[in-house]
Amino acid sequence: MTTDFFVKRRFAVAGSLAVLACLSLVCAAPAQASGETDFNTYCGACHSIGQGRRVGPDLAGIHDRRSQDWLEKFVKSSQAMIKSGDAEAVALAAEYSNLVMPDAVISAAQIKAVLSYIRDSASPAAAVVPGTVESLAGAAPAAAEPSPAAEVVPPSPADIETGQALFEGSQRFENGGAACNSCHHVRNDAVMGGGILAAELTTVFSRMGTPGLRAILGAAPFPVMQAAYENHVLTEAEVGALVAFLQYADSEEYNQLPRDYGIGLFLTGIVGAAILFLLFGTVWRGRRVASVNQAIYDRQVKSVSDTQ
Amino acid sequence: MDIRSQISMIFHLDKCIGCHTCSIACKNIWTDRKGVEYQWWNNVETKPGTGYPSKWEDQDIYKGGWEKSGSSIKLKGAGKVKGLGNIFHNPHMPVIDDYYEPFTYKYLDLIESPAGDDQPTARPVSLITGKPIDIKSGPNWDDDLSGTPDYARKDPNLVNLSPAEQEAMFQLEKMAFFYLPRICNHCLNPGCVASCPSGALYKRGEDGIVLVNQDVCRGWRMCVTACPYKKTYYNWHTGKSEKCILCFPRIEAGLAPACMHSCVGRIRYLGVVLYDADRIEEVASSDDKDLVQNHLDLILDPHDPAIIKAAKENGIPDSTIRSAQASPTYKFVKDWGLALPLHAEFRTLPMLFYVPPLLPVMASLGKSDPAQLDKMGPVVKQWNDDWLYDTSTDDIFGTLDNARFPIEYMASLFSAGDTEMVKARIQKLMAVRIHRRHVTVGDISAEKSAEALKQAGLTAKMADDIYYLTSLAKFDDRFVIPASHREQAIEMMEFTGDKKGSAGFGFKEGTAQRGL
Repeated sequence: MTTDFFVKRRFAVAGSLAVLACLSLVCAAPAQASGETDFNTYCGACHSIGQGRRVGPDLAGIHDRRSQDWLEKFVKSSQAMIKSGDAEAVALAAEYSNLVMPDAVISAAQIKAVLSYIRDSASPAAAVVPGTVESLAGAAPAAAEPSPAAEVVPPSPADIETGQALFEGSQRFENGGAACNSCHHVRNDAVMGGGILAAELTTVFSRMGTPGLRAILGAAPFPVMQAAYENHVLTEAEVGALVAFLQYADSEEYNQLPRDYGIGLFLTGIVGAAILFLLFGTVWRGRRVASVNQAIYDRQVKSVSDTQ
Repeated sequence: MDIRSQISMIFHLDKCIGCHTCSIACKNIWTDRKGVEYQWWNNVETKPGTGYPSKWEDQDIYKGGWEKSGSSIKLKGAGKVKGLGNIFHNPHMPVIDDYYEPFTYKYLDLIESPAGDDQPTARPVSLITGKPIDIKSGPNWDDDLSGTPDYARKDPNLVNLSPAEQEAMFQLEKMAFFYLPRICNHCLNPGCVASCPSGALYKRGEDGIVLVNQDVCRGWRMCVTACPYKKTYYNWHTGKSEKCILCFPRIEAGLAPACMHSCVGRIRYLGVVLYDADRIEEVASSDDKDLVQNHLDLILDPHDPAIIKAAKENGIPDSTIRSAQASPTYKFVKDWGLALPLHAEFRTLPMLFYVPPLLPVMASLGKSDPAQLDKMGPVVKQWNDDWLYDTSTDDIFGTLDNARFPIEYMASLFSAGDTEMVKARIQKLMAVRIHRRHVTVGDISAEKSAEALKQAGLTAKMADDIYYLTSLAKFDDRFVIPASHREQAIEMMEFTGDKKGSAGFGFKEGTAQRGL
């Protein structure tokens, strides 16, 4: 079947951790396998099971904290729940700076499969990684957060250069995907300005770290990006280069010239223009603007209009 | 001593009839193009009047010409510092309405309009925008409008006259005017040349004609401000400035400039004068009272052997020196002392001289004597009151002080305010008339004629010469044009041997393409 082929291909490019976990677990049940695949495809970019917090919370032991029903509804459409005023959902959104979790594009059955995959795989993992379970009260989210800075290895200049070329589109993606700056912008003097259709990525590395970026670039959880790269999957080398570039752009953020002065720039412009106009007006106040015959012309025009 | 030659002109205002033939001749040859429709390199103004562009003489408005600065002079509205400061924002230029917005009429509408109830009309359209306009002004809009409050009474030259004198000038019975034809003065100390940031204007070495190099001009228009006579103009189509070129292609061919050639009243004379270029700054920096006399003294005697020698050493050809000796300009300005420069106080040392008009001065209004009137016969115009238009010569020069045209007005135009200088010239003109009337009509006695000549400082011979050059002169007497020696000029630029054998019947450029 084509889906099987597709799934297999996804395996090849997905994170090695998930693959290893799958192999070690002797995944015979089809439902189990489909749950794992869907998790890696749609959830893995932002969530981990027992590897700590990424963009979204670590999902290890999630069933201890939430009911199955609540989870199904939340995965289906987190926004709908937040809008409906569910207290837990609203608190969760606030904790994660109102970052939107995309609505599920998979069927209710698939959601169930994913949730059961999470429950099944969490128990051994939870024992390995202690202290990842966070309370809803958010007692110490900072402590639970894995620090990307701690595992940062400076990228190689060659990778940065390749990543920049790929980001700008001066070098094509091997599978023909659209260049990143079609939709994304990175504030960096060396790079041409990018689009504003999608998120600004200057500090994305600080927020997500290498695993998060790799996961997103490997299998984007965002519907638009997903559609755009569905048939143009990035290669492993390309993902590595892009992550290297984004890491570099993040570290260089404060060295970039076009600083954002906000409203100050606009106000300075107005004050500056006012000063210049005042200066021009003073220096050239004696300029002739009307003809010496203006009085005659004015009178002529007046007399014409009088007679009409 | 640095003797140079200058082509210099005389305009005899007493002969100008204000027909504008000169203006039309010039317009048809040089300024009948897009962008220069409003330019009149030659124009004829009615004086008193505001002229073209309006009030051009008022340098408080236009900041043209030079002003004294210590022992030297500086440009009033341009120059290095002022020019740089105003280079993108030249503040004192005339606007198009100071000249006039050029227009034409949609004549084709007269014959191409479809049949209708109304007579078709030719609407005026602007030559600048191409859109219909209400004509507000035109060239010579104030022609013959002496006495009008809009034009004549706003003449900048009236500033030295008391309100009573001004009022007297514009009394209906006393009203008078004359014409002032103007072209570029081809000054010895041209403000336009000094002001140009690009160095596009230059004064030709061989004959002193001031020209704008169209390849160098960048259209800064500093010359438009700097010329106090407003005789450099901006071509809005090419973005370059243009001015009177004294028809140099005609001059080089030995022909008089078009305006002079076409002059109906034959008021124009042209000839070469020699001057000392080393003294230009000194003369231009003279005090106001000495300015005109020093200006006239700058012109040297071409008959003086020392001058001739110095001129030859400076490379002036013999033919030019011979032309200078026969120059009508030299005769009018120096031999006879009849001509004066226009507005010498602008300190550009103009090389166009004017013989002041006599006619408005000659006659005065006096009480008519009923006994005299009876003798005059029926053709004499007699007003109901007892004023008379008096042209009698009973009292030699008696009418001069009692003139209906104040001498101060003439002095403001021609002698930087020195009335004696104008008076002396008008006396000479009158003396020549008295002398010739004695010779031809005979109703004036020899004693009276001799007395008039003596008072004016003329001899009978000089008076006859003046009469000849004024009234009888032929083309070659009026225009003594020096050979331009183009063969020498071209030899300075290139070796003429290079051209030998390379030009014949047509020119060959590259290899002929036969299409085979």
